[in-house]
Amino acid sequence: MSEQGMSVTMRVGAERRPFRIPGGWIGVLPFLIVLVFLFLIPVATLLKSAFGDGAFTLEHFVRAVEVPVYRSVLLTTLTISGTVALLAVVMSYPLAYLMATSRDTTRNILLVVVLLPFWTSSLVRTTAWIILLQSNGVLNQMLMGSGLTDAPIAFVYNLSGVLIGMTHVLMPFVVLPLYASFRALDVSTVRAAESLGAGPVTTFRRIILPLTAPGVVAGAMIVFMNAVGFYITPALMGGPGQTMIAQMIANNITRELNWGFAAALAIILLAVALGLFALFQRIFGLERLISGSGGKSAEPFGTDHRRSPGGWVSVALGLLVAAFLIAPILIVFPMSLGSSSFLTFPPESYSFQWYENFFTASKWMNALTRSLQVAGITVAVSLLIGTAAAVGLTRIDRRWRGLIEAVFILPMIVPVIILSIGLYYLLVPAGLVGTIWGLALGHIVLASPYVFITVRASLASFDRNLELAAQGLGASWLTMFRRVMLPCIMPGVVGGAIFAFITSFDDVVLALFLTNVRSRTLPKLMYEGVAHEIDPTIIAASGLIIIVTVLVLAANLLISRKKP
Amino acid sequence: MRKMLLAAVAAASLLTTASVAEEMVFASWGGTYQEAIRKVWLTPFSKETGISVEEDTEPEVAKIKAMVDTNSVTWDVVTGGGGTLMRGVNLGLFEKITPDMVNQDHVIPGARNDYGVPSEIFSSLIGFSTKAFPDGKPQPATFADFWNVEKFPGKRTLPDKAETVLEAALIADGVEMGKVYEVLSTEEGLKRALNKVRALKPHVAAFWSSGAQPVQMLGSGEAVMAFGWNGRFQGGIDSNLPIKMSWEQQIPQVGFFMIPKGAPDKAAAVKFLNYVVKPENNAKLSEFVAYGPVTEKAWAFIDAKRAERLPSTAERLKNALFLDISWWAKNGTKASEAYTAMLKD
Repeated sequence: MSEQGMSVTMRVGAERRPFRIPGGWIGVLPFLIVLVFLFLIPVATLLKSAFGDGAFTLEHFVRAVEVPVYRSVLLTTLTISGTVALLAVVMSYPLAYLMATSRDTTRNILLVVVLLPFWTSSLVRTTAWIILLQSNGVLNQMLMGSGLTDAPIAFVYNLSGVLIGMTHVLMPFVVLPLYASFRALDVSTVRAAESLGAGPVTTFRRIILPLTAPGVVAGAMIVFMNAVGFYITPALMGGPGQTMIAQMIANNITRELNWGFAAALAIILLAVALGLFALFQRIFGLERLISGSGGKSAEPFGTDHRRSPGGWVSVALGLLVAAFLIAPILIVFPMSLGSSSFLTFPPESYSFQWYENFFTASKWMNALTRSLQVAGITVAVSLLIGTAAAVGLTRIDRRWRGLIEAVFILPMIVPVIILSIGLYYLLVPAGLVGTIWGLALGHIVLASPYVFITVRASLASFDRNLELAAQGLGASWLTMFRRVMLPCIMPGVVGGAIFAFITSFDDVVLALFLTNVRSRTLPKLMYEGVAHEIDPTIIAASGLIIIVTVLVLAANLLISRKKP
Repeated sequence: MRKMLLAAVAAASLLTTASVAEEMVFASWGGTYQEAIRKVWLTPFSKETGISVEEDTEPEVAKIKAMVDTNSVTWDVVTGGGGTLMRGVNLGLFEKITPDMVNQDHVIPGARNDYGVPSEIFSSLIGFSTKAFPDGKPQPATFADFWNVEKFPGKRTLPDKAETVLEAALIADGVEMGKVYEVLSTEEGLKRALNKVRALKPHVAAFWSSGAQPVQMLGSGEAVMAFGWNGRFQGGIDSNLPIKMSWEQQIPQVGFFMIPKGAPDKAAAVKFLNYVVKPENNAKLSEFVAYGPVTEKAWAFIDAKRAERLPSTAERLKNALFLDISWWAKNGTKASEAYTAMLKD
């Protein structure tokens, strides 16, 4: 253990009586069991083929190491993922600040802006971005029309395209935990710093940055681990220079049928990602941040805090970031009203035919219903086991934590296609392939790590003394959890639920393998035929989902405002 | 572990495959393509034979492998391209189709295969924007024109996979169609093809990964010339996008219908394949999609107006080099690796 780790342990030991509920394992076990049976076993079955189908061989690894293109692709993958994580963090600060310091209505609107991109399929999102960014796209026309540039700028089919597309999709993973951290931040600390003459930069560096670090680190880790497994966005928005390793793994599985080589590449990716995770833990360790951070804020960051000039700059930047997030969503509507079966913007003529198509062909509504069912099961189960695991982990022996944590984040790193195939072999005998239950099992594996991480981060602001106090006053552990702990970690739970929902709602790859025509979900239906054409009905479907989401949230706002 | 699973699956499938009425499960790629197949083949076949047809979608060859491995094949007929067919054959995923089962004597020789029945012919060729190259002015016609950036300036788009691109590159570089695979089989030949593509890279707007992209890019003006599939270009033309195709040179490919090994209703599948390859039936698919028939006898059932849209007329096949799927099965890994490395440089 590092010296710093030692001192933290000692400090914790000095401040708080070592208090350990043996029940820690009860919390961790359900998630662990799910991962062992539905993730580790199926994935290991497939990864085994990296060492040959019959006799043991290392030829796949030799090829992966000797052919230079794989090394360069791995390096590209890590560089892009790191850059995306950094961009997501930098862009999230002003937005999360804006959200935390706005009035309720504004904050709710911003929350919708952050989450709406998720409610559309990745296919629709990337299509919208391409239309915005291409050389005679909306952005270039604006730039050239305003005289800022003479020639179109290449935003897409290159590195900037990949960064834009990936940051856009992954940013909410940082914004939400960061927003929660801002809310937990005691505004008097900021005031104190300002009254002592600290400028905005110093205040940010010395006060805000350290206090919001747990949320940011958790978010950045999710973004990075997620990014290394990306392949649809880089394939559509990048150029050949941005080929990522997951594309090659998927290509070897679905096209070349060379599962041994795909498995070898996946093992290499896994080893590198886990190595980085270990390094990351050592430098920023969730553990250290969690033991080191303070309790709940006495006076939350709120609207009454008068903005400093630095605050106003942050507000402006926050609005810009919000515009970035919402931009592709704004053009989905006009696009969905176009009458041509080829997507153009702005459309030459308008019609409702794609919306009509959505409602008249029963397959769309059926698929939407099924998607919601699967997402419902996924959210319920992953909330339960993810939260239990996060709470349980703080109560088990320190030396197990690192290992268990690494296991818990594995599903984020392993490319989904590997899990899909592995699960197929596992679920066929149980008769679960082709049912929504089989698919939900897969989604639970993918979604629970998000719940685990966000709840774990929000536990950072939970003061263990409250727990002791409640129990000292005679409350059972469950009562304590319900009345004391749950309200404190609620932001993390809600964030986890949202991530779980979108993980399930946007998945194509598991659905491809685990469903059939009778159990297909909306993303799978959208994906069908996409190699040949893009059916504009998928844009209309996204448009509808956005309208429904906005209406529900608007109704919610109106109702909650009427309350005294 | 795998063995235990297999045993359990085998036991389970014994119980479930004892079906009564004859039925068949057909799996293809959804969208307008599968709709067309339903209209011209599935529904009439079902009416004529009394065999009920169930449909499924997305017959990924990886999923077929998983089905075959676990003895849980639910599909009787699946559709796919030549690459899928050959890679599947290598792993023993498809039933052999003997002449006794389906007579393919009347099928165009370039389209025959022992493990699949050809269903249609589609083609990779040049599509270009008529805004950039309007009628009455010089328009690109040959693969050499595609590479000629002085005469036909503007951005291009090419597939991000090596298949068809390496062939087109060599033809553009002056290799006779009949010699392309011979040249490509040599180390220098492969290099020559790759270098030809490399030279064009500064003029490529994007390397496309899905068939809809090149049409989208021609429509939006992002590219002025595309190397893509005739069916997709035709779709764009039918939606009034300013696109035209050049039939001067093309690389046709064959779409196949296969029977996965262990298909539950093989007999029904064989009947269906016979139905599809019959000239009068085979001719019908082109009513809905711009894919050509696989047998010369089918042309008797296709009028001149429709033939204008199709790649496999006798005249057009004169300037065509069929994609050699056996060559790709043998050399694909190496060629694809080299292609990706060249793109990434």
